[in-house]
Amino acid sequence: MPSTTVTSLGYTPPDGGWGWAVVFGSFLSIGFSYAFPKSLTIYFKEVQEYFSVSYSEIAWVSSIMLATMYAGGPVSSILVNRYGSRPVVMVGGLMVGVAMVAASFGTTIMHLYICVGVIGGLGLAFNLQPALTIIGKYFLVKRPMANGLAMAGSPVLLFTLAPLNQFLLDNFGWRGSFFILGAIVLNCCVAGALMRPITITAKPPANQSGGDDDGAVGKTDPQARAGCLARVNKLIDLSLFKHRGYLIYLVGNVVMFFGFFAPVVFLAPYAKHQGTDEYSAACLLSIFALVDMVARPGTGLVSNTRWIRPRIQYFFSFSVAYNGACHLVCPLLPGYTGLVVYAVFFGLAFGMVCALLFEVLMDLVGAQRFSSAVGLATIIECGPVLLGPPISGALVDIFMDYKYMYFACGVMMLVPGLFLFIMNFFNYRWLKQEEHEKKREELPMGSARELATMEETKDSEQNIKLNQEKQLTDSDNKEP
Amino acid sequence: SLHIIFINVQKIVCFDDYFTTSQHTGHVIVQELEILKPQKIELSCIISDIPNNPTHIIGYWKKNGNEIENSKQTVYKVDKQRFIFKRIFNIQVNDLGNYSCIFSYLDKQEQVTFLLKVPVMKDKRDKPIVSYVGDSVVLDCKIKRMPNTWQWYKSNGTEKVLINATADPMNYKILLEKNVTKLTVLNLTEEDAGKYICSAVFEIKSSESHVYLKVLSLIEPLKPFIGITIEVVILVTLILLYERYGRSRNDSSVDDSSGTDGRRTRQRNLVH
Repeated sequence: MPSTTVTSLGYTPPDGGWGWAVVFGSFLSIGFSYAFPKSLTIYFKEVQEYFSVSYSEIAWVSSIMLATMYAGGPVSSILVNRYGSRPVVMVGGLMVGVAMVAASFGTTIMHLYICVGVIGGLGLAFNLQPALTIIGKYFLVKRPMANGLAMAGSPVLLFTLAPLNQFLLDNFGWRGSFFILGAIVLNCCVAGALMRPITITAKPPANQSGGDDDGAVGKTDPQARAGCLARVNKLIDLSLFKHRGYLIYLVGNVVMFFGFFAPVVFLAPYAKHQGTDEYSAACLLSIFALVDMVARPGTGLVSNTRWIRPRIQYFFSFSVAYNGACHLVCPLLPGYTGLVVYAVFFGLAFGMVCALLFEVLMDLVGAQRFSSAVGLATIIECGPVLLGPPISGALVDIFMDYKYMYFACGVMMLVPGLFLFIMNFFNYRWLKQEEHEKKREELPMGSARELATMEETKDSEQNIKLNQEKQLTDSDNKEP
Repeated sequence: SLHIIFINVQKIVCFDDYFTTSQHTGHVIVQELEILKPQKIELSCIISDIPNNPTHIIGYWKKNGNEIENSKQTVYKVDKQRFIFKRIFNIQVNDLGNYSCIFSYLDKQEQVTFLLKVPVMKDKRDKPIVSYVGDSVVLDCKIKRMPNTWQWYKSNGTEKVLINATADPMNYKILLEKNVTKLTVLNLTEEDAGKYICSAVFEIKSSESHVYLKVLSLIEPLKPFIGITIEVVILVTLILLYERYGRSRNDSSVDDSSGTDGRRTRQRNLVH
């Protein structure tokens, strides 16, 4: 069975106990990180009228927040590598709280860009990365399940924040709502408090019997490279860019993210374009969110089984391709029932990809390097995540029809899905070969190894002899 | 034009300045006309395909549910199929309302109603707009047809007080822009709260809509803010205390599992 990358943790993760409290903390942090920028859109109309700006100017607030959240990934990773998850999450929660309170006193739209967008986004980045990292520290055997549960925070919190925000807006106006949201978001500090740093009791295996591979905790590149590159490498693991699996993941994801979020953004407008009323269009989004909520832990459960876990990369590439297939089929489905069917299948696909997104990364690079890996990945994914919906919107505007956008998104997910599938097939093979070679090298120096090589040469000599004999007999037989 | 069973309704108009929409529920046909100016309008009902094909039908007009005097007439067929029943009305300010043509044949009666009114602002405004003392707020009104002008009033109980932005530029700003108007109220105080009425002035009549303004003091959002912050502080303290308590209990017992951990890790690696 294809082997997963060795954990290189140096200790056994608890896989339970306080780990489930940590999962709940991650659930909250991840939920706020993803759902908070989306739920702020409820205030846009009122803020837009207050400052007398256009819709696109106000939409920048959400975009800047999301962009900063993704771009702040490496900063977050460096801090987590240095200080652990708990302080970073708590600082992040405080940052978003202060940002929202400051924004509630804002006098210009630029105020909002800076407070909500930049500071708020950075605070959310300080929530997202540590929350993902600490799951890898507490779980190994049940990690896919833990990841699935934690990622379910996003739809659950969106479901809760959306009506809550509407309630706040109706009763307190946008300023009061931002003020109160500043307090609500402080609950991320509670999530951070739950993220107890794991006490590492195991020592690096220097004096223990050999046979451990690179299991030492915090091992860095043995080459002594002077200069700032070495210093940067101490903060964040840049050697990841040489990691084959990581590169495959990056390439696949970057293309995928172009077409990932746009169909969610355009689900309601597409439905209204087809003629459904506003209430039914909103119902579609609720159906999507509910299926998503269930699909994430469900996928976690399925990918934890012994049939899927070793082949989890294939499962991920399947779910990406399945997304693409959904989008390609969507324009062909007739009427509101077709849209409901699409919402259900798309919700399932979306949940699957989200649940597996970080689990496969942990599977590829191991929990030790995960923090740096996810930081670098998010800053690279920043571009497609932000550009995806506007490009799709431009497609809709140019062709005055949604089906071309759906075809484009479908292709942009199907192709990476297939790419990931094929590349991971090769990657699994190469990993297997490398493991075989490593195992051979690890045989203690001296007699056994020489014996092994001697045996091999003997075998090959015998083979050559056999071949020669065969040739002789063949040529004998051929002669009349 | 619409064809419902055997009633075909049309209007022939002498002057413009009206707009129509129509709806029908069952046998009752209603046509809405938005009137912008005083004018003469000819309302006509064209009826066709009556069973048993009578030679004539009797019809009369109603205004606001009351039969108009001397409006009863016998209508003869125009051609083999149709009856045209029409009347010219002089619509002034007081003449806006419901007009119906009613005609009977055999023992049945059919009715078509025309609703004549000024353009209406239909968006629901039941939720108040919330703002704060010292802040400013923008109230707006939109309408489909362009009025001559807009006016804003503040309601004091039953009375309407006109808001004059030019006389009081420190507190009010009115923006007039064809189909949209915006009233900006500056330097809000608690007395500024209440019902604001925007009035779209057409030549024939004005069309009104209202919006409620609530002015809160800064203490209002502070209460939930403090409540939630206290909750967060309590939870964080509890979690950290629980951890410290748990750790002090563990420290008292012997705990050295480094050896077993390493062995377990190796075993796990081998299994994978």
